[in-house]
Amino acid sequence: MSEGYATETTLVNAESNVYDRGLDAAIGLSVLTFALGMVTLVDAVPLSASGAALGESLGLILAVVVGGVGIVGVSSWANVTPVESQRVRGIALGLVVSTLGLTVLAYAVPVTLATLLGLTLVVEAVAVAVAGVASRVETVDTSPNTSAGLLAGVVFGALGLTLGAAIGGSLVGFDSPAWVAVALGAGLVLSALTVLPREDVGSTIPAALVVGTLGLTIATAVVGVGWQWNPQSLSGGFTGGAVIPIFVLVGAILSSWSAAKCRAGFGARGREFGAFLVINLNVFLMVAVMATIVVFVTVKGVGYALHGFTIGALSALVLLAPLLVVVVNAARTPAGTDDWHTGARQLFRLLPLAAVGSVAAVLLSVLVTGDRLAYPFTYSVQVNRAQQSLDTAIAVTPEPTVGSLLLVAPALLLSVYFFRTYGSLRNVGSRVGWAETIRQTLPLAVAGTVALTGLFLLVGPRPLGLPLGGTLGVAVVVLAAVAAVVLAALPLAGVLAGEGTLADRAQDRATLFTLGVFGSLALLTSALFLQATATVTPSVGPVNVVPGVALAGAVAASAATALVAYAKRQSGETLQRRLLGEEIALGLTGVAGFLTLLGLHVAVTKVSFTVLGVSVANAGTLSWPMTMQTYIPLGTEPGGILPAVVGTVWLVTGATLFAVPLGVGAAVFLTEYAEQGRFTALVEIATNALWSTPSIVFGLFGAAFLIPRLGGDESLLAGMLVLGFMLLPLVLITSREAVKSVPDEYRDASAALGVSQWETIKSVVLPAAMPGVITGVILGVGRIAGETAPLILVLGSTLNATESAQVLDGFRFTAQPPFVANDALLSASASLPTQVWAVIAAGVSGSPSMGWASAFVLLLVVLTFYAVGITARTYFRRKLTHE
Amino acid sequence: MSNALNDSETKQTTEGTDTQPTSTTTAGETEERVREAWTDYDFAGDPKLSVEDLNVWYGDDHALKDVSMAIPENSVTALIGPSGCGKSTYLRCLNRMNDRIKAARIDGSVELDGTEIYDPNANLVELRKRIGMVFQSPNPFPKSIRENISYGPRKHGDIEKGLLARLFGRDDTAEEDELVERSLKQAALWDEVNDRLDDNALGLSGGQQQRLCIARCLAVDPEVILMDEPASALDPIATSKIEDLVEELSEEYTVVIVTHNMQQAARISDQTAVFLTGGELVEYDDTDKIFENPESQRVEDYITGKFG
Repeated sequence: MSEGYATETTLVNAESNVYDRGLDAAIGLSVLTFALGMVTLVDAVPLSASGAALGESLGLILAVVVGGVGIVGVSSWANVTPVESQRVRGIALGLVVSTLGLTVLAYAVPVTLATLLGLTLVVEAVAVAVAGVASRVETVDTSPNTSAGLLAGVVFGALGLTLGAAIGGSLVGFDSPAWVAVALGAGLVLSALTVLPREDVGSTIPAALVVGTLGLTIATAVVGVGWQWNPQSLSGGFTGGAVIPIFVLVGAILSSWSAAKCRAGFGARGREFGAFLVINLNVFLMVAVMATIVVFVTVKGVGYALHGFTIGALSALVLLAPLLVVVVNAARTPAGTDDWHTGARQLFRLLPLAAVGSVAAVLLSVLVTGDRLAYPFTYSVQVNRAQQSLDTAIAVTPEPTVGSLLLVAPALLLSVYFFRTYGSLRNVGSRVGWAETIRQTLPLAVAGTVALTGLFLLVGPRPLGLPLGGTLGVAVVVLAAVAAVVLAALPLAGVLAGEGTLADRAQDRATLFTLGVFGSLALLTSALFLQATATVTPSVGPVNVVPGVALAGAVAASAATALVAYAKRQSGETLQRRLLGEEIALGLTGVAGFLTLLGLHVAVTKVSFTVLGVSVANAGTLSWPMTMQTYIPLGTEPGGILPAVVGTVWLVTGATLFAVPLGVGAAVFLTEYAEQGRFTALVEIATNALWSTPSIVFGLFGAAFLIPRLGGDESLLAGMLVLGFMLLPLVLITSREAVKSVPDEYRDASAALGVSQWETIKSVVLPAAMPGVITGVILGVGRIAGETAPLILVLGSTLNATESAQVLDGFRFTAQPPFVANDALLSASASLPTQVWAVIAAGVSGSPSMGWASAFVLLLVVLTFYAVGITARTYFRRKLTHE
Repeated sequence: MSNALNDSETKQTTEGTDTQPTSTTTAGETEERVREAWTDYDFAGDPKLSVEDLNVWYGDDHALKDVSMAIPENSVTALIGPSGCGKSTYLRCLNRMNDRIKAARIDGSVELDGTEIYDPNANLVELRKRIGMVFQSPNPFPKSIRENISYGPRKHGDIEKGLLARLFGRDDTAEEDELVERSLKQAALWDEVNDRLDDNALGLSGGQQQRLCIARCLAVDPEVILMDEPASALDPIATSKIEDLVEELSEEYTVVIVTHNMQQAARISDQTAVFLTGGELVEYDDTDKIFENPESQRVEDYITGKFG
């Protein structure tokens, strides 16, 4: 604004200079510090850790960072999620470099994490101060305003006041009033320093002062890990363990804000970027606070709940593959939106991708280093009236083995997905529907199988006296397999051998590609089936032919895909890019298809297959956690809580089946048929009152009214009904709102076609209201699934049950009315909430850690119901909008 | 300026007929003469709908006053008039859509091919099958294009599909396809949507949605089509498509169309009825006559844009 400060700014800054790169590193370091602050806040890494222990923890974080940045980088390279912004690239690089630096530092210098964090803050403070001064003396090109603004002044004033009070208090003691003067002085000075100078100084120097002070306090151990302060007026106190993470978080937010402003050259863009970073870090802080309950229960219960759960790192990686596709899809550039890559949108699109990459990197590190990744914990249990302490762990083993079925499921999913993508690319735009995909592929598969098996049965094992099981069978299978591998190699040879640019070659050989992939897949499938029916396993030397071909096909297809992906990257023309995209999808379909066949072969023949130390076997890569078993009385291992899980699932299912039709029916009557007047108002009041009725009252009603009418004993059915009564009002209220919000135009249109009101409700109103109805059911189920009080009264307190309620098996038909009986429904059952209550609060048998495990499992069950609800809602919404 | 002048004139006239017969006797007499003139309006062709002394009240509001007019078969009849004059109310009386408004009270007689539709024993389903309706704003169901078209016939049992139907040896998938194609072709929409019949109808443009609504209405094979300002929410190109469509439809169907756009009425209709403020039918005659040489001074003012 003022003439002296006007600088020439260019429209596009494609190049970044040393100043920019330094600031990118500073922002990266701040983000890392923030993450570390969060990690120490939940005590995942102790602040007092140092040396190799700290190095290992930081190494894990390094794997996470490198994996996240790496996968985003790779998908950016492949033009799936192009990241053009210099800033984003710089910060990502800064993040990697600073994590690497900290890890190396932790190994090299024996300092604690607290000291390391303090020093980091000091470094950030210096970086920010240097950047600010550099901008002020105009060695760099920036466009700052005249002042950092009053808001920043107030914030820094408050920070100064707090810091001054703390420093003054510890210097002169809180007894003398002098600390007030120090506090006020510090506040005023910082505020003035922020508001009075030009923006580049005003938003860097005060921040550097605050961050530096915080860093020095921690680094010099003035506030160390063992530090404690117990004010006399409070019954509690502050400990270093709680204060240091908070210092670190505040310092990290401030320094990232300041560095971000510097990076964008101050002014409007600087404020935008600064606010963007602060808001994002804040969001993470908020999410962290909200997630604390979940995290706390998880940390307490996950160990026991997952006790005995072991999975091979390779199997976990394979299971991650479909997830990867989902997140890549979510991160992909939507057509026609140019500005999607700026700001928060990019961040939230890329985050899931980065998360998957991180997990994959951690699993890879387990595989590469050969170290088991275990979560150890101890728990105590009563064995024959004596307390025993037991150690256990959940573990990710470095075992390079994939379960054959674990391979088949994700690979099949992927092949169907890629097949659909291929189809949609071919028919430009219109995506092939699931039903259509199944209709196209299923008959083929069924017909192929039937034809081959039928042929074999018809010919018999000895056609014309020749033993098919022997030489001929082997010959046919080997021939088919060899033909398959030749076909699979076709596209690769075609792309390599032709002339012209790579893109042109790939495109010219499109027919070879299709023929190679689909032909080879078909041949290999028949070989696979033939092999099983002829009971032969032809092998050449140590290599089994069929899986060997599957593997070779997968390698050929992925090599061809990689070549085409490279060609696509080079190609600028839109049509050619789309055509090359077709080949890529086709190649990926092939890879997934060959892997499916490999897994199928192993699953069918039960012969494990090993190549380069990686093996596909039938069993041994996954063992289920103990929670999924029933209780074992008086054993050395206390057993699991499966009956309680089953009980809760049945309770929620029963209550939903009871309440939802009633609630929705009543809602339809009240909105569509009943005259709006006193009656509906009365019903509304009654519903709301019922919704706010305490749950124990429902329980008492169930115990005194339902139980005498249902055989006199506490039972599963009584529990279902009571929970159903509790669910009813919420379903009614939300369904009414949902039905009301369906536009009248639909009803008019239907009526004008001569369609009766009931038909209209059935075919137009209810489908349109469905998402709203489901929202209500989700909320209600969340409430009733965790309901404890009424269940204690009506369900019976079967603890540590050794048998699950066999509801489906319990149905019997009788000669007298009511003709159907179910003893399982009429007998008491276990449930998760009552289990938690009894074990933790009432101290009935079992150990507290078992209670926590039950709580954790309960959380999982509720979240699963929630996920089912959300999926259903999304399905119906989709159906209403674009089908 | 001229608007303000004419407004006061109209007000005077309206008040004159209603409350102060003495001060404006001449105006009242003229109105009477005009009324005489068009009540005997004798159109070519047979009457499809005849309305006698139709009165509608919404609560205490007398929305339609003593309307009598007959509507000829296989022609386009336009209803024009300023906002709030009762033309939409009149239209909605013809297929008893006003029954859906609880506060509405209807008195009078409407005959379809000589059968009283306000008979207490009238079959509403049959009535609305024979008299279809297209609304002001396009209102396709949030379903696929195909489902939108076949909705009516399926609900009436003319088309049966699905597992149960197949179980009973009846599968009308082919009939449905044919019906969808025929209706969409009639509504001049087939060429635009034939490759995406299973897409959601809400993904169509406004004009396409409105033609889809017309196709949906045609699919139940009505005799009369009521259109309530079908082009008011559309752009000029979409409007002209709808207009062409209406003209084509009039060869087979009896079309009654409410419109705000007088050029539109002049272009597409065979006869025009003018409603003016207060819910009265002021003049009804051949469209040419109404637009070139109306009997009533008020109608002439309205048409030449001096009023309303």
